[in-house]
Parts: sequence; structure tokens; C-alpha cells
Amino acid sequence: MSRKALAPAIVTIVILAIVVITVMLPLALTTQDPVGVLETFLFGPFRNLRYLGNIVEMATPTMLCGLAVALMFRSGMFNLGVEGAFYLGGLGTVAAALLLPMPWWAAAPVALAAGAVIGSTVCVLPGVMRAHFDTSELVTSLMLNFVALFVGLFVLNYFLRDPAAGAMASYKIPLEAQLPRIVPGTRIHLGTVLALLACIGGAIYLFRTAGGFEARLVGSNPSFAAHLGLPLRRVMVRSAALGGLIAAFAGGIEMLGLYTRFSWQALPGTGWVGVTVAILARDNPLLLIPSALFLAYLQVGGDLVGRNFDVPIEGVGLINALVLLIATAAAIIRNPMLLRLVSGERSAGLTKSLPKAEAH
Amino acid sequence: MTSNALVAFEAISKAYGNGTRALTEVSFSVARGVIHAISGENGAGKSTLMKILFGLEQPSSGRLLLDGGVAEIRSPAAAVEQGIGMVHQHFTLVPSLTVAENIFLGQEQRSGIFVDREKTSRRVAALSKRFNLAVDPDARVSTLSVAAQQKVEILKALSRDIRLLILDEPTAVLSPPETEELFTRLRHLRDAGLTILFISHKLREVRALASHVTVLRAGRVVGDAQLADLDNDALSRLVMGGATSVARPVRASRSVGAPLVALKNVSQSRGRPGERVSNLDLTIYAGEVVGVAGVDGGGQQGLVALLSGRKAAESGTIVFGGRDMKSGSTRDWRSAGLAHLPADRHKDGSAMSMSLVDNAVAGAHRKPAYRMGALLDRRKMVEATRDMISEYGVRSPGPEAPLSALSGGNAQKLIAAREFASAPSFLIADEPTRGIDIAAAAFLHERMRNMAGTGVGILLVTSDLDELLTLSDRIVVMFGGRIVARFDTIDGLTPDRLGPFMLGLEETA
Repeated sequence: MSRKALAPAIVTIVILAIVVITVMLPLALTTQDPVGVLETFLFGPFRNLRYLGNIVEMATPTMLCGLAVALMFRSGMFNLGVEGAFYLGGLGTVAAALLLPMPWWAAAPVALAAGAVIGSTVCVLPGVMRAHFDTSELVTSLMLNFVALFVGLFVLNYFLRDPAAGAMASYKIPLEAQLPRIVPGTRIHLGTVLALLACIGGAIYLFRTAGGFEARLVGSNPSFAAHLGLPLRRVMVRSAALGGLIAAFAGGIEMLGLYTRFSWQALPGTGWVGVTVAILARDNPLLLIPSALFLAYLQVGGDLVGRNFDVPIEGVGLINALVLLIATAAAIIRNPMLLRLVSGERSAGLTKSLPKAEAH
Repeated sequence: MTSNALVAFEAISKAYGNGTRALTEVSFSVARGVIHAISGENGAGKSTLMKILFGLEQPSSGRLLLDGGVAEIRSPAAAVEQGIGMVHQHFTLVPSLTVAENIFLGQEQRSGIFVDREKTSRRVAALSKRFNLAVDPDARVSTLSVAAQQKVEILKALSRDIRLLILDEPTAVLSPPETEELFTRLRHLRDAGLTILFISHKLREVRALASHVTVLRAGRVVGDAQLADLDNDALSRLVMGGATSVARPVRASRSVGAPLVALKNVSQSRGRPGERVSNLDLTIYAGEVVGVAGVDGGGQQGLVALLSGRKAAESGTIVFGGRDMKSGSTRDWRSAGLAHLPADRHKDGSAMSMSLVDNAVAGAHRKPAYRMGALLDRRKMVEATRDMISEYGVRSPGPEAPLSALSGGNAQKLIAAREFASAPSFLIADEPTRGIDIAAAAFLHERMRNMAGTGVGILLVTSDLDELLTLSDRIVVMFGGRIVARFDTIDGLTPDRLGPFMLGLEETA
């Protein structure tokens, strides 16, 4: 029984392993030291505390962006505004920290809240347009990301730019607004704790509250939700608002946790990784945590290989692309034959060709 | 006769993997140069048979003869090669392309590697002149009326040099004058030598157009005759079948109460044809079952849409439980006491990928009984679901299983359990037992009778005349969006009596 429940996870893990090997092995073989490349890629990230810290730092914002995506996907909204919301959330947070006069203890919370509200518009607008005018939220949110970028660049250049910085960057974020580091020897900051709490909160919201239940109903069958008399539009806008707030909040904690100035001049891509994280986690908020950590581990391993060997860092991008392809290929991941095989359920053909299956 | 046959079906059977038998030993032939009608109720097998002829499906057994020789039609392309064209009920045109581009889609007129627009337009003009079907070759399809689009579909079929044209319910989308015009064109085509297979359940149209009719019922041929040899009664008996009035089980107490739902002169002219209604007058009293009969597209769906808050009435008044509900939302209707078993239980009645628990409490999830502070009390939800499962005898792998794990009958029982649990005063039962097993159907029938006994007003919409006559206290018949007959008692009523009204051959109200 428990084995049956675990089957999808096992299939996923096995397939991920195959993907990693398929990409990394040929890449490694082209170098002088194939064993070293593979070893660095697979075990390098665990070799010291700083690298482990890198994994957690990297997983923190993608976990939150994944949560934003998962909440919106669950309610049937393919809203890709997370990327723009993340960017604008970071900018809004820095702007609030720089421009609003605040007592020291309020600096971080107020800046984060302001950034979340400002950034969330990138998800909310497409959500409102979808709910009321039936526009495709996929298209509008995708395009709005670039609007967010250029609005952000304008604000950065004309209101926040520090002429002494020597590059296009904001004034320094006040020290009292920065999030405290919590693990010595790494840059892991308070935001990581907030991200973990948010994922747990997201799971409670989706599966234990009336609002989350309604979002799932609308997402899994809007006609049914309408038949029950649920307020479809309100549910959609609520999901978009929640998603936007979370993604923008992620941008804020990223800024206050790791940066001293705002200097993004292009969309940072964290929101896109969040989409991958959410798809890999099947939109399950609790699974976002391992899925974000796994993708961050791949990234850190790839960075290490890129720094130490003559291997293009794009190899990791290739792995990410394949992971995304296969994670979305329900035909593979949810293949009933594969699941049966893993869960050890017997069928005539299987027991014959795989006698070992009975030993388990 | 057989020697002159263009098409002959010989003992064609079709069974699907899940055990459904769509066709059983269907044999008949279609003579050359005539209009041959195929009639029957929904689900009688008309469409399946045409899909086989057009190569969209393969028969499980039996064979198809074309010109007396065995033909195997593996695909629509093969059908076209054999000279068979089909106009589907739902058009298959590209709205953003022009008429000419649509007609020659897939057989573009080229010069070199380019599509020759001039030549295409010229050929379409020639074609439409030859068959006397006037269309503007350069108009975009999206700008055309439905009737004009149908002409384009017919031209598209004719452009492939066909000798047999299949028309699947061609008049479903047309107004009466457009229908008349279509019939004139079809007669011209027949006179030009084309054989036409005309699929329709509207017997008036069959009589007006065809010379020969084949009637299917439950996948079998139950009648095959020249129309001249059949009178209206005989024809409608063939279509409606041998369903005779069944002995009515007596309800415990039948006391009809106060008016519950009242429609006065209600019209709604927007939406698909089956959703349009005009001048409806209907009052449903507490404690009675009002049956609504009619063929598909008669307006029953429009009535249900109005009474469940899915659509607002354009004119007239609707009152439910003393409140004006002319433009009430589904939420308004439900909070006033509506429960609704929808006709399409997959699309509207449930979320198949969600668990039994989720499906069983959906809609009631904001009730205090399921709350625990700000959260949902999952334990109570599971408990309530278990109660429903045992009370309604739902066979399931457990409350946490997805609804898709249940058979149709068991899923419908769970949906009914959810709807009935809301203690409604008014129930819409739309095809409540379609496609479910007899035991489950009998169970739901008893439940509904008991509900009526306790004062619930029930609107029963069903295409199953036995069910209609078993459950209803009185019956209205709808056709073309109007109520065309009312029977205030069902004593002595038989399907034969209802048939002509349902098919629009007669009208009393």
C-alpha cells in the first residue's frame, strides 16, 4: 500500500537520475578527467558548508516562486506573471526601504509588504482580465513581464540610481532592512525560514481551507464549480492575487537577504525556475521544498564543474530543459505500466520477465 | 432493387472495447439517385453507422458493398476517393479563411509552388453555378450566416466529385425558411443524379424530403420502407419503439402543495438552438413531479438553464419560493433551495480527478458542520462521505479514491447523495439515470418519489419515456423551444400518444 503511494515519486527519481547521466556522461567524456567531472558534479555540492549554503540560498526564492505558480495552476490559471512579479517585488522592496522613512524594526517588514503589493500587480492584472474578459492569462502575463521590466528600469534609473555606484544600481539597501543571516559560514538568511513556512502554509491553504478547496474545484472542473454556484471570478482573482503576492515577496526577500543594491537590468529568471519547480512538484506545496532543493543542487554542481573544468555551464541548462520536458510528459511519469512495475503489483507478463520483483 | 443499390450494409455490427454494442446486424441498402432518410432517437446508432460509411470507424463484423462490390473504407480520405462526401452536424470550416480557400483546403489549385487564388475563385464560382448554390468565393467564413456556412460545407463535399452525400442532422442549425431552401437545393442535387443520405430525427422533415426511410433503434434496424407506405402514426411508433405504458407504482402520499416555481411568458432567444425558449408558462407545485418530454434541441436545456441560474430570462417573470428569480444566479437558486442533477455528470456534476470526499461535500463545504476554526474539518467531511456511501450503496474503493474510479451508476449515486443532502425544496433531475445500470436507476427513482412525497417539487427532464411515464404526475412536451402539449394526468398516456408532439407533427398547447 505505502509502496503504491510512493511509486510516482520513485519513477520520478529514477527518471531524473537517467536524465542527469544521459547529459553529463557524454559531456564528461569529452574532457581530460571524466571521473573528476562527474564526481564534482554529483558530490561537489556536498563537499563544504559554503556549497551546501549555496543550494539553500538558491532554492529559497525558487521555492516561493514555485508556490506562487502552484497556487495559480491549481485554480486553473496558467499565469506566468511570476517572473515579472519577482522582479518588480524586488525593486518595490528596495524602493520602499530606500524612500520610506521608518523606524529600524519596521524597515524589513514594511519594505517586504510594499514590494509584495507592488509586484503582485503583474499576476493580478492578467488574472482580473481573465476573470472578467476571458483574455488568455498565459499571453497577457507573459507580455506584462516585460512591461514590469521596463517600468522597473525607469524607476531604477530616475529615482533609485546611485551616481556613485559606477554602474546602473540603486543606493545601498539600509543595513536595518537587510534580513539576518542565520547559519554562520553561509549566506542562508531568514528568508529561507519564511519560504519553508510559506510552503507549509500553502499546503494548509489548498487542502484544509474553504478558499483552497474552492480554488481546486475551479481548477479541476470550472463547469462543476459553476454548477455548484461558486463565485468563479472571485476565486480566480483571489488565486492570482495570492500567487502575485508570494512571487513578489520572493523577490523582496532575495533582495534583502543576499544583495546590497538593486541592480537587475534584465529579468532574473527565478520565476521561470519556479515554474519548473512547481511542475516537478506536481503543484503540491510540500513537494516544492525537495524539488527546489534538487534543481538548486544541479545548478550548484554545474557551476562547480564550469568553474573547475573545461565544460560549458550550458550542460546544466540542458539538464533543466530535459527535466522540464520529462516532468511535463505525463505519458512517462504517470505511465500506468511503469507505476505498476515499480509498486510491485503483479501482472502475468511482468512476473515472468522480472522474477526479482517478487523478492520485494 | 439490390442490383440498383449504390450502398448496401450487410449485417454490420459494431461493439466497443468497453462492451457497448452500438450496432447489431444492420442490413439495408440505399438506391441510386434518391434521398434516403435514416431516422431514430439519440443513441440509436445513426451516427456510428455513418462514421463507418465515411471511414471514421471500422465495423466489428459485417461488410459494406459499394456498387455491389465489397468495399473497405479505412479513412475519410478513402471514402472521398470512393465518391462519398459528408457534411457533419458541427461544421469543419476554418473561420478565418475565405469560402474558396475552405472549399479547396487540401486540394489547392496551384501554379508552380504557389496557390493560385484566381483559379480557386473561378472554380468555386463555376461549382456554385453548376449546383445552383450561390456563395461569394472571397467572403471570409467567419462573416457568413450558419445557413451559408452549410452551403459552403455542401460545396466542399461536391468539389470532390462525389456521388453519395451524407448529411448529418443538417436542419438542426437552420430556421424554417432556411430549411425549406436547403430542401429545394437537395432536390435539385438529387435530380442531377446525386444520392443523398439524410440523417434526421425530425419526422416531418423526413417525410417532406425523403422517399425511403430506414429507422434504427438501439442499434438495430426496426423499419425500412418507402415513405409512401407509412403513415405518421406508424412512423412515430417505429422511432419511439415498443415502450408501452408501464404499471405505475403508487406513491405513498401524493399531496400537491403550494406553487413553488412559476414561469410566466418567459423567453430567451440567445444561445444555441436547443437553449432558446419562447413564451414558456409553467408552474411547478410542491410535492409533484413534472415531466418534460421532447427530442434533443426541443428547448429543455434552455428551460433547465433558466431554472438553475445558468442563464437569465430576457422577458417574462420567474418566481421561486416567493422571490423574483428572473436573473438569479446559480448561487441565488441554490441558496433558495435548488438541487440539480445535471444531464452531463462528468462535465457539470463532478470533478472526476478529485476524491469522493471532495465531490461529496463540494458546495456544502462552507457549512459550520465542516468547519474547525478557520480550517475545514477533514475528519467530519470523510465521515459525512462514508455516511452517503453506505446510505446510497455506492460501491467504491474508499472515500479518498478519485471519483473516476467509480462506475457511472455509482458516480451518479454519489452526485445524487450530495445534491439530496442539501435538503432542497426544488429538484431538477436532468436525465437522472442516463447510461446507468437498472438497479442504480431504480434506487434513484425511489429516492425521488420519496422526496416528492415529502413535499419537494421535481422537474424531471428525460429522453427515457418509460422513466417519464413512471415518475411524472403530469407531463409537458417541448418542441422548438415552446411547450407544445400538456398532459395534466398521465393515466392512459402512452409513448405513442407523446410521439407526434415530441416530433413536432402535432401541437395542442
